[in-house]
Amino acid sequence: MSFFELDGLTKRFGGLVAVDALSMSVDRGEIVGLIGPNGSGKSTVFNCTMGRYTVSDGSIHFDGREITDAKTHEVVEHGLARVSQESNPIDAMSVGANIKLFTLPNSVTSLRGGASEKEIFRYAARLDLENKLHEQPDELPHADVRRLEVAKALATEPELLLLDEPFAGMNQQEIDGLVEKFEELRDEGVTMIVVDHNMGGLMRLVDRVVVIHNGTKIAAGDPEEIAENEQVRRAYLGSSEAM
Amino acid sequence: MSSDTQTGGPLESVADGYNDRFGHLFGELNGPQFALLIGSLAVLLVAPVWTSLLGVGGLLRTLALASIWAILAMAWDIQSGYTGYISFGHAVLSGGAAYTTAMLVAHVNPDLPFLVTAPISVLAALVIGLVIAVPSLRLRGPYFSLVTFVAGLIFYQLTYAFSGYTGGELGQRVGRIEFELAGAQVTTFDPVTRYYVMLVPMLVIAVALLYVARSNVGMILIAIRENEEAVAAAGIDTTKFKIWSFVLSSIPMGVGGVLLAHFYGTVNPLNFLLVDRSIEIIAMAVVGGMSSILGPIGGAFLVIVLREEVLGVFGVTGRWVALWTVVLLVLVFARDGLFRKLWHVLGDWGRIDGGDDE
Repeated sequence: MSFFELDGLTKRFGGLVAVDALSMSVDRGEIVGLIGPNGSGKSTVFNCTMGRYTVSDGSIHFDGREITDAKTHEVVEHGLARVSQESNPIDAMSVGANIKLFTLPNSVTSLRGGASEKEIFRYAARLDLENKLHEQPDELPHADVRRLEVAKALATEPELLLLDEPFAGMNQQEIDGLVEKFEELRDEGVTMIVVDHNMGGLMRLVDRVVVIHNGTKIAAGDPEEIAENEQVRRAYLGSSEAM
Repeated sequence: MSSDTQTGGPLESVADGYNDRFGHLFGELNGPQFALLIGSLAVLLVAPVWTSLLGVGGLLRTLALASIWAILAMAWDIQSGYTGYISFGHAVLSGGAAYTTAMLVAHVNPDLPFLVTAPISVLAALVIGLVIAVPSLRLRGPYFSLVTFVAGLIFYQLTYAFSGYTGGELGQRVGRIEFELAGAQVTTFDPVTRYYVMLVPMLVIAVALLYVARSNVGMILIAIRENEEAVAAAGIDTTKFKIWSFVLSSIPMGVGGVLLAHFYGTVNPLNFLLVDRSIEIIAMAVVGGMSSILGPIGGAFLVIVLREEVLGVFGVTGRWVALWTVVLLVLVFARDGLFRKLWHVLGDWGRIDGGDDE
């Protein structure tokens, strides 16, 4: 069994089938792109994985465990973390405290656990935020808020990182910087699934691409193959989005 | 972190000594904040002396009562103030404990010692807290608050429905506190002893709750209030922590309920379960400054002293109108609470930020 595996994953909202019997697998150390036009079901796949949505059918396995019906905090404890499309830092807490929150033990009797200031500095430094630990999230520029989201996810020491549109709202220079960070993470052994509707920024980062359209897998392969794939082009043209 | 930004002086060095030893446990203070805390503590500890010197011995009763309400306001704060799941029915917990004491004394054995009835009553508050918390904490926003509110109404009506046991509107006598401590007889018939019997538990609970509030647990509870989903994404079981906040709240609520029962000597629905009592607890916490533990203590003393000593000039019912008007004014003009404001003023004065959460 692969490191991460979706088997016939289905999510229905009433009559709407958002994800339709999707199967895919990811091996340890890979970076896999999950792409598709807006509304194709990419974020729903992540929401099902993270226990935010209940799964209608099929199963999700991670690192030899079934996590189909696990709660969010259990999924995170098993070593999965997600960077959401929407940034949601806690504005009442400093950048450093936001990172620290993600290192706290899930125990009501652990009063003084969590990362030390040195460790928090290190987590922040991975995303070049070490000089902003005492700032409030709402004072940060957009790209730093996005970086904070990644730093928080990394502070849970994940083995598999789900990145949901990590480059949204960034300029080319910021995208390049973040891609470099992800490449460093890959070298450290973190497996990643990256969702994006825009294939541009993704193609040089990922080893493999899975394309979904209307909740169904329509293509899979290496980035070059996918760029040439006629069905993928049609899916994107149909939704009038550029690749 | 604090020493290089200080202006110096003996007050600052004492505060720094505190910061080095306890700052990481309870939050760092600057000189003026430290002075406020130590000064208030000293004033409370020697209250029997200065009240008798000033010829205002009656004030001791008010301060004893304020100590009990401070317990209730802090207990509400660690649950509602910190998690943002606002309970409108917290009097059920203190009332539950008070009625447990009353039922034990009235129907089991009138000679049951305080040291037996008190722990059982606190346990009862904890059980009631969990019975309310476990099913209702799944609800969000106004629905959770409504459940706690309705639970309060049910308890209130139950005391009338079972008036054969509870004594209905008249309530049930529980008498004063009498127990032996290190060979000495402690009884609340004596006003000075009664004062300390109310004050000491308040101080112990304040230290305990401050310790928890300034720990990981307090940080997680605040984070739940701000963004529950982000807390779950951090690998933390928010349901578990919300229930824990009810445990942390129910136990001091039980202690406060037992003390209040013996303070009045009678447990009746009006003084313990009427919905006004729940709202008063909230008002004290909000007037002082919620989610700070210390703020609600200040709020409780301010509200009780106003009600018992100052606003009496407006008459028996007029004082309530005046009191709620004061609360309303604070809500409109100083939403973060009077004592939080004072704390920040003192903090700016000493040019470092104090042990606040926000």
